Amino acid sequence: MANEKRLDRIGWYFITPACVLLLFFIVYPIFFSLYLSFTSTKGIVSQFVGVKNYLRMFGDPMFFLALENTFRLLLIQVPIMLLLSITFAAILNNKSIRFRGFFRTALFLPSVTSLIAYSILFKMLFSYDGLVNNTLIKLSIIDAPLQWMSEPRLATFVLVIAMIWRWTGYNMIFYLSAMQNISEDLYEAASIDGSSKVHSFFTITIPLLKPIILFTTVMSTIGTLQLFDEPMNLSQGGTTASMIGPDNCFLTLSVYIYNICFKYTPNFGYAATVSYAILIIIALLTFIQFRLSGDREEAMRKTLERKGGVR
Amino acid sequence: MKKSLLLLLVCLVLVTPLFAGGASETKQAGPIKIWAWDPNFNISIMNEAISRYQAKHPEATFEVVELAKADVEQKLHTNLASRTKEGLPDIVLIEDYNVQKYLTSYPGQFADLSSAFNYNDFVGYKADVMKLDGKYYGVPFDSGVAGFFYRTDLLKKAGFTAQDLENITWDRFADIAKEYKAKTGQYLIANDKSDGGLFRIMLQSAGSWYFDNEGKPALVNNAALMEAMKLYKRFVAEDLALPSNGWNEWVGSFNSGKVASVITGVWIIGSIKAGVDQSGLWAVAPTPRLSLDKSVNASNLGGSSWFVLQNGANRDKAIAFMQEIYGNDKGFYQTILMNNGAIGSYMPAFSGDAFKALDPFFGNKAIFTDLSRWASMIPKVNVGQYTYEADAAVMAVMEDYYNGKTTLEQAVKSAENQLKNSIQ
Repeated sequence: MANEKRLDRIGWYFITPACVLLLFFIVYPIFFSLYLSFTSTKGIVSQFVGVKNYLRMFGDPMFFLALENTFRLLLIQVPIMLLLSITFAAILNNKSIRFRGFFRTALFLPSVTSLIAYSILFKMLFSYDGLVNNTLIKLSIIDAPLQWMSEPRLATFVLVIAMIWRWTGYNMIFYLSAMQNISEDLYEAASIDGSSKVHSFFTITIPLLKPIILFTTVMSTIGTLQLFDEPMNLSQGGTTASMIGPDNCFLTLSVYIYNICFKYTPNFGYAATVSYAILIIIALLTFIQFRLSGDREEAMRKTLERKGGVR
Repeated sequence: MKKSLLLLLVCLVLVTPLFAGGASETKQAGPIKIWAWDPNFNISIMNEAISRYQAKHPEATFEVVELAKADVEQKLHTNLASRTKEGLPDIVLIEDYNVQKYLTSYPGQFADLSSAFNYNDFVGYKADVMKLDGKYYGVPFDSGVAGFFYRTDLLKKAGFTAQDLENITWDRFADIAKEYKAKTGQYLIANDKSDGGLFRIMLQSAGSWYFDNEGKPALVNNAALMEAMKLYKRFVAEDLALPSNGWNEWVGSFNSGKVASVITGVWIIGSIKAGVDQSGLWAVAPTPRLSLDKSVNASNLGGSSWFVLQNGANRDKAIAFMQEIYGNDKGFYQTILMNNGAIGSYMPAFSGDAFKALDPFFGNKAIFTDLSRWASMIPKVNVGQYTYEADAAVMAVMEDYYNGKTTLEQAVKSAENQLKNSIQ
């Protein structure tokens, strides 16, 4: 008992440095930015304004535009990407596929590239006289080069394609490792009972991947809501242009926060307010996702229990 | 117990350096630190200033740090906002549209130079940019005097002479662009319909801006602004400007001869001259004016100025340096004009020889005599501190105005609402 206590104490010593750092660099900023969100600042001139920033936010068309853009990306990009990830993972988990190692590496490789490098790469690929336009013209699919980066819909398409390219492999790895943790016995038993491969996938693989699907959905949602590097680098003029992307289609919430801090007269108070809006949205979405999958998982467990499948 | 004490000590040793960081360094004066962007222009000009200064003051040392423009701005914001005195330069370059933003956001951080320079020597509108509560805080640097740069050969083919292009209005310019396109099938000019550059040229030519003299948003009923918006719409509706995206495409449009002219700040000359095969084929006319009584054929786009930090270790040395070169040295302004095509704002230097030099690239005309004359005619405007907010607010409503979803009045109104919201 005494020994255990001593070990406990030593354990605390070990985590003290991390805790201190956490306190200074995570906990303190969280509370300080909460305080900031109730002030209106102009550089170092700051005054307490109560909830005025929050009221201002609800009347700010630019904020709602950013919110709309962010959600558009979220709703288009995340489902496509996760479906692709799970499909690739299922294919690459098949032991009869040749060069599995190569394909896995190839699919994962994009996610080790720097965010800025790949944004610039896609900007070049989709530029007016870029590879994509040239190829499409050579294949006679289009007659004249498309203005990818000056038409809001096309530009959004490019951004979505770029993000899918960058993040699919990353999510695939989670699914792949989870699939490898599923016991072969289950599939064997299912096939003996006459279940097809596809059927097994939907009744064994997907249900057992639930926690991972939840995890990747939550992470991707958070990632998309904080999206910054890609739109910033894909947009033509970057920080000096009057708009972020054609017709402001790349104006995400994080880009808007950046603009409030660094492009416009620096109002760190209002910027903190908008970041709290993101926080609240993320918390809400995560809560909903947990509830949805949690309920279903619970129901699933009960059905399986009834059938005597899982303990 | 001993062991745990030891552990605690180890932890302390590990953690302390994290907090000891900046405090242990003693403050030393060191070289005069300068932040700026653009190696071919600002940096190269500053280096010229330094070498002239060091010729007389060999003991003075400098450290010029080249950064991207956005990085200078961002670093300055974060350093000033955190109230640290370390890590800031002694002299920093700030774009004119941003000057008031820094001065009002960080009071007491920039040195008051009112008594260090004679501000009557500088072009009026430049000095005004850095004036706050009756005090001057900066050293006016390059002028962005606007010019209508055009290809004489291409316009001649379409039947236009130099006289046709002198002192015209924007409406006339649009007519010429239309006629030029009808005759040659080419565009007269390239423009990004969501870029506010020409906008600001048009506004300032009428002594108008997005704000009134008190700095309040003045979009609704702003005759110059509405005229400018109509012109932008006409360019889009009648397809009079080659759509261009970003700096490179825009410069490429006139370097390649795809368009026959460019209207922008004088700092573009370096890029025009990059098309060496077009030597002798260029000329410059005054920028067009708006069809308003108060609008003149002179305006400005961009330009920046130098600022000295109040709390820097080298403040007084930095001021002395700026006084001697930027506030006195006429020869310096001749050199940077010849080497960099930079028109400073120091008027006594305008009478120098370099300003009278005939430029073979521009058909052996003394273009700098003209440009510096126009520079002194530029109407003063109060650009205030929210130019980029206004730019974004106006451009955000343009798309709906272009495609007819909103009327001009509605567009201006919603832009003003947006602007009011973003500057409270």
